[in-house]
Amino acid sequence: MSTTWLPCGVYHQDYKHDQGWWQTKFIKTKMILLFVVLFIVIPVFADSYSLSVCNQIGYTILGALGVQLLIGFCGQITLGHAAFLAVGAYTSTLLILDFPWPKFMMDFGIAYPISILIAAFAAGLWSVLFGLPCARVKGFYLILTTMAAQFITVDFLITGYVSQIGGRGQAFSLPPGTIKVGPWIIDSDIKVYFMMLVLVTGCVIMVANLIRSRIGRAWIAIRDNDISAEVMGINVIKYKFSAFFVAGFIGGIAGAFWISNLAAISPEHFPWFWSLWLVGVILIGGVGSIHGTIFGSIFMVVVMEVLQLTVMGFVDTSWGERLFTDFLFLKEAAFGLAICVFMIFEPKGLAYRWWQMKNYFNLWPFSY
Amino acid sequence: MVEWLIALNHLTNKLFNEFSKAKGGDKIVDRTEDQLKFYSLKKGKEIMFAKNIWSKIFVHLFVVVLIAGFSSMANAATIKVGALNDMTGATSDVGKDYALGISDAIHYVNDNGGINGKEIKLYQFDYGYRIPEALTKYKLFKRLNCVAVLGWGTGDTEALSPTVTRDKMPYVSASYSAHLTDPKKTPYNLFAAVDYSTNARAAITAWFDKKWPKNKDYGKRKPRLVCSYMFASPYCSAPIKAIKDQAKLLGFEIGPDQSVSLFAIDTKSQILAMKEFKPDLVWHGNTVMSVAATLRDAYALGLGADHIVDNWGFDENLPKLAGKASEGVMGATVCAFFGENVPMMDKVVEYAKKYNPGVPLEERLNHTVQGWANVLALSEAMKRADKAGDLSGESILKNGFETMRNFDIGLGVPPLNYTSTDHRISGRVPIYEVKDGKFQVVEVVDLKGRWPEKWANEWLGW
Repeated sequence: MSTTWLPCGVYHQDYKHDQGWWQTKFIKTKMILLFVVLFIVIPVFADSYSLSVCNQIGYTILGALGVQLLIGFCGQITLGHAAFLAVGAYTSTLLILDFPWPKFMMDFGIAYPISILIAAFAAGLWSVLFGLPCARVKGFYLILTTMAAQFITVDFLITGYVSQIGGRGQAFSLPPGTIKVGPWIIDSDIKVYFMMLVLVTGCVIMVANLIRSRIGRAWIAIRDNDISAEVMGINVIKYKFSAFFVAGFIGGIAGAFWISNLAAISPEHFPWFWSLWLVGVILIGGVGSIHGTIFGSIFMVVVMEVLQLTVMGFVDTSWGERLFTDFLFLKEAAFGLAICVFMIFEPKGLAYRWWQMKNYFNLWPFSY
Repeated sequence: MVEWLIALNHLTNKLFNEFSKAKGGDKIVDRTEDQLKFYSLKKGKEIMFAKNIWSKIFVHLFVVVLIAGFSSMANAATIKVGALNDMTGATSDVGKDYALGISDAIHYVNDNGGINGKEIKLYQFDYGYRIPEALTKYKLFKRLNCVAVLGWGTGDTEALSPTVTRDKMPYVSASYSAHLTDPKKTPYNLFAAVDYSTNARAAITAWFDKKWPKNKDYGKRKPRLVCSYMFASPYCSAPIKAIKDQAKLLGFEIGPDQSVSLFAIDTKSQILAMKEFKPDLVWHGNTVMSVAATLRDAYALGLGADHIVDNWGFDENLPKLAGKASEGVMGATVCAFFGENVPMMDKVVEYAKKYNPGVPLEERLNHTVQGWANVLALSEAMKRADKAGDLSGESILKNGFETMRNFDIGLGVPPLNYTSTDHRISGRVPIYEVKDGKFQVVEVVDLKGRWPEKWANEWLGW
């Protein structure tokens, strides 16, 4: 069989080949090109604004990846994921600001990466705590317990107590130079962009590998039918908890990354709306697909920016100025409309469209 | 209609061919007539063809608009200023009026010679109080080469503070958090208003001076204070430390804070919790919708306390929304109310009528005036910087804002004073009270004169 092109049709003869990532030279070349674009072309040509948009996309991907894992792969509906992002962000911030790190760790830029790891574990364990009810309840009832995570964590604990630590007031500001990775002080969009790329790539690889493993297959079995999964010998509760842990872990990384982008946080950065937004990301991108998480994040961030730039096109006209100032909220309405249109015409998400496009070429010329 | 569509299809095909020819590419065959005949003959209708044409028109239009959008960024003949407003988010109840004030005031500045003859071009965005979006919008302002930004909320302004300091971008916000007044920490954050902490200190002091002596328990026990605000909002919680400090200074007993959402429409549980402490005074730190809901519930449940309100909860809508419950409520407003007798008010009203005739004057609020105040202060700073021959961010700060001494903008805002060591504009705060649905001045509290030592050495930056 060709190692450059896959012939028309599906010829996988074993699971290893079926689950392989880069099955042909063409796919390898394509992925190498993608890496070149992400790691070289964009940093060279993008300005501060474009990098900022990329960073926001990366933050959304990191946030939505955990939601995708829980809802899309394990079938556990969550509406409180922003809480785990908040736990990650505050853990990392407090560690940087208040933990007595040895001087060499600060000097060599080890403190922040370690704080990210600790934040991820803290958020993972916190997520398991709020995942405990999943042993007993599912569906709408689980939605309510995960919403409790949001209100207890952000509105009660973080707002009332954690954000008061040190008497700074609620907005924690990280002094310049405190966010350091190795020799690099993370103080510009380009550095944040590279950090985002590394974290997103790492998390995507981690989730993609987990999904291909025994654990991932167990999650998918639970999603499809938990009773059947249990009959097959899967420890349903154990795997549900593990899904909550991994989702929280990635959420913690997202939160800890967010502080490098802003050098400040407050409870206001993690509203319940953000949890809902992340569910919207995976619905638009495609439930049960890592590609869907990435496509959904790009769509949700870029559409808002494109709509803004579209309105800016009218600013020089006399009537356009009114549109620009009087009808700023038009953008919000157009965004809502775009989502409605999307859900009507592509209810399976952007990932499904991507899959159709790939299939068209894979099966060409016998794509009927 | 179909003739129009056919002509347009011809035109787009022709344009494509011309472009392709120039690039040495393939031509496309213009099959408009064939397509038309085909559909006319086979279907007897033009619908399919029209649909095809419409999608084409839509795509072309979208591309043109996008190109226009990007090309508008290239125009460098004017001074560009960005404005970040909340017209759809959590604070839109007061944010819409403020945003209208910003655009009216920019028109006024441009109609009166702009910045020494240069016109201001305003880029005004709604970010819906979403902080991640505020970040990208700020970067967009930078890409557009804006020389200054008119910002909004405390959460995003404080979050962006390290970035604007690094970029040396004057950031004139509608957040009047005292955390933004210390130039050692936040040199590029400014606003043409008295900060939240100073306002709150002054309001408590005015109540202590004017109302407490009339209380039947005066001289028998300490007055009791409770704070009601949304804990999770940095805007609401910004002056809490200062409020409690002032309360201790005046000898208050302080009760447990009550968390009331900015979206609250029912606050009975919080009022019942307050009743256990029996407060004499409640400080409200939310925006007007939430404050009105709290006042109504306090009135209905007979809390029996007086109320003082932060400036974003103390506007012309308060008596309308809270009715009788608003009688006797005191508060600090950072500028004149809309239509009040101050020198520049005729211009504010004239421009409100001229540029936003769709919004009735009786619905305009003092937040319009707040928008004007920030724009007039910024434009004055830009004029001074431009005169000094340098319109960079650093020059707007050093040659503009920080050269203002007792500069009166005529909007009821205390005269502006910014120095390189202190960005608080004034220590004198007029405190108003609602009487028969109207606002009346109770007392002008001079904090700087009354506690000069604390004002100079202790209270800066919080």
